[in-house]
Amino acid sequence: MDSIEKKLLELNKIQDIQQRNHWMNSLHPLGKLLISVIYIFLVTSLGKYDIVPLILMSVYIIFSFIIGELSFREGIYRMRLILPLLIFVGIFNPFLDKNIVMVAGYGVRGGIISMLTLVVKGLYTVLAVYALIATTTIEDICYALRMIKIPKIIVIVIMLIYRYIDVMSGEADRIYTAYRLRAPGQKGIAYKFWGALVGQWLLRSMDRAQVVYESMTLRGFKGDYIPTKKGVNAIDVIYPIAWITVLTVIRIFF
Amino acid sequence: MKTGISGELLNISGVCFSYEKGKEILKDVSFRANEGESIALVGANGIGKSTLMKLLVGLYLNFSGSITVAGHEMCAKNLDHIREHIGYVFQDSDSQLFLSTVEEDVAFGPRNYGLSEDEVQKRVSEALDLVGIENLRKNKTYQLSGGEKKLASIATILSMKPDIIIMDEPSVALDPKNRRNLISVLKDIGGLKLIASHDLDFVMNTCERTILMDGKTIVADGRTEEILGNRVLLEAHGL
Repeated sequence: MDSIEKKLLELNKIQDIQQRNHWMNSLHPLGKLLISVIYIFLVTSLGKYDIVPLILMSVYIIFSFIIGELSFREGIYRMRLILPLLIFVGIFNPFLDKNIVMVAGYGVRGGIISMLTLVVKGLYTVLAVYALIATTTIEDICYALRMIKIPKIIVIVIMLIYRYIDVMSGEADRIYTAYRLRAPGQKGIAYKFWGALVGQWLLRSMDRAQVVYESMTLRGFKGDYIPTKKGVNAIDVIYPIAWITVLTVIRIFF
Repeated sequence: MKTGISGELLNISGVCFSYEKGKEILKDVSFRANEGESIALVGANGIGKSTLMKLLVGLYLNFSGSITVAGHEMCAKNLDHIREHIGYVFQDSDSQLFLSTVEEDVAFGPRNYGLSEDEVQKRVSEALDLVGIENLRKNKTYQLSGGEKKLASIATILSMKPDIIIMDEPSVALDPKNRRNLISVLKDIGGLKLIASHDLDFVMNTCERTILMDGKTIVADGRTEEILGNRVLLEAHGL
C-alpha cells in the first residue's frame, strides 16, 4: 500500500470513528468544542515550571481516550507532525535556562523542566484536538463554530478545505497508481515526471473541486452551510460545565 | 420546487455557445419540452451534450439565443428561481456527494432553500424512499457502492422536488442489476427528465423522445423508437 492510499485510509478511519454509535459522539458539538478550546487555553497558559497542574490536566485526556474508547496509539501517532518542531524549540532550554527548580524535593535544572512542559503541552493539545475530531464530524464542528459566531466565511473555508483534502488525495492516489502500474520496480516517481504529474494533479483537483462547487450551487448553496439542528439534552450541558469546572480548579488552585 | 406549471417547461431557441472566441461548441440549438416528458440527448463524444445541459442550469450564461426554464428567462437575476425548479445529476456521483452521510447530503438542497427541519426530514425520507435506499440514510457516502452512489445522487436532487431533472450519463459504470434498478426508479419519477446518454438500450427503456446532436446542433428530434431504429441516421452521426 502506498503512502497516499494510507493517508486516504486514515482519513476514512477518522470519519468512521466520528460516526460510530457512542454517547460521546452524540454529545452536542458546542460543548465538546468549548471544552477543547478552554482546555487548550488553560494548558498552554500554565507556567513553564508548572509541572504538577500539567500532570493533573492529563485527567481530561485520559478520560476522553478511555471512556471515549479512542486509541492512544492513533492520537500519539498524530504527534509526529509537531514533535520535531517542539523538540527543536525546546532543545535549547536546558542550555539557556540554568535556574534550579525543586521538583518533589529534588533540584532539577529549569531548562529541562521547561523543555518537558513544552513537549507535554504540545502532546496534550494534539490529543485534545484528536479527541474532538474523533468524536465530532466536520459538519458538527462547523455548526458549533457558527454557534459561537465565528464568521461564516471562515467556517465554510474550513469545511471546504476538509472536503478538498479528500478530493486532492483521491486524485493524487489515482495518478500515482496509474504511474506505478506502468513503472514497475521504480522506487517513487522519477524526477523528470514530477512536473507533469504535479501539474496534472493540480488541474484535475481543480476540475473536481469545480464540479463539487457547481453541485453545491445548483442545490441552492449561497456561501452558508446549514447543518442539521442539534437538540440539547441535560448531558450536553452538564458534561461541558463539569469539565470546565474541573479544569479551571486545577488551573487556579494547583 | 414544483411550480405547478403543467405545460412547457423548457424552451431553447437559437442557442449558440463557445468557451473560447471562435470555437463554437453549440450552434443554433432549439427545442421545447413539456412536463411529464422523458427526453434522451444522444450524440457522439464531445458533441456538446454536457455543455447544453450546463447551459440549462445556468452554469454558463455567456450564450446567445434564449433559454426559458419553468417560465423564467435564463439570466443572472433569475438563477435562484431557475435552480429551484431544475435539478442536475452529475455523471460522477463522487462529485455530487460531498457531505459525510447520505442523509446530510440529501438534506443539503432543501435546507439551503430555507425549509423547516420537519419538512427537510420529510423530503429526505420521500426522496430516499423513491429511489429505494431509505436503509442507507445514515450511511457514509464514501462507503457506498457505485450503484448506491448513483441512487443517492438522484435522491439529493429529488429532495428538492424539481420540475425538471437533468442527468448526465446516469447508467455509466452500473452493473446490470443496478442499471435495471435505475431504469425502474426513473420510470417512477415524475416531471420532465432530460437524460444525456451513450447507452442506447438504456435510452430505449427510459425515454419516449430522443434528440440527436451532431455538428454542434440538433440533427434529429422525435420518437425514440424511430430515431434509435434508424441505423443509417445513427451511423451518419457518429453513433
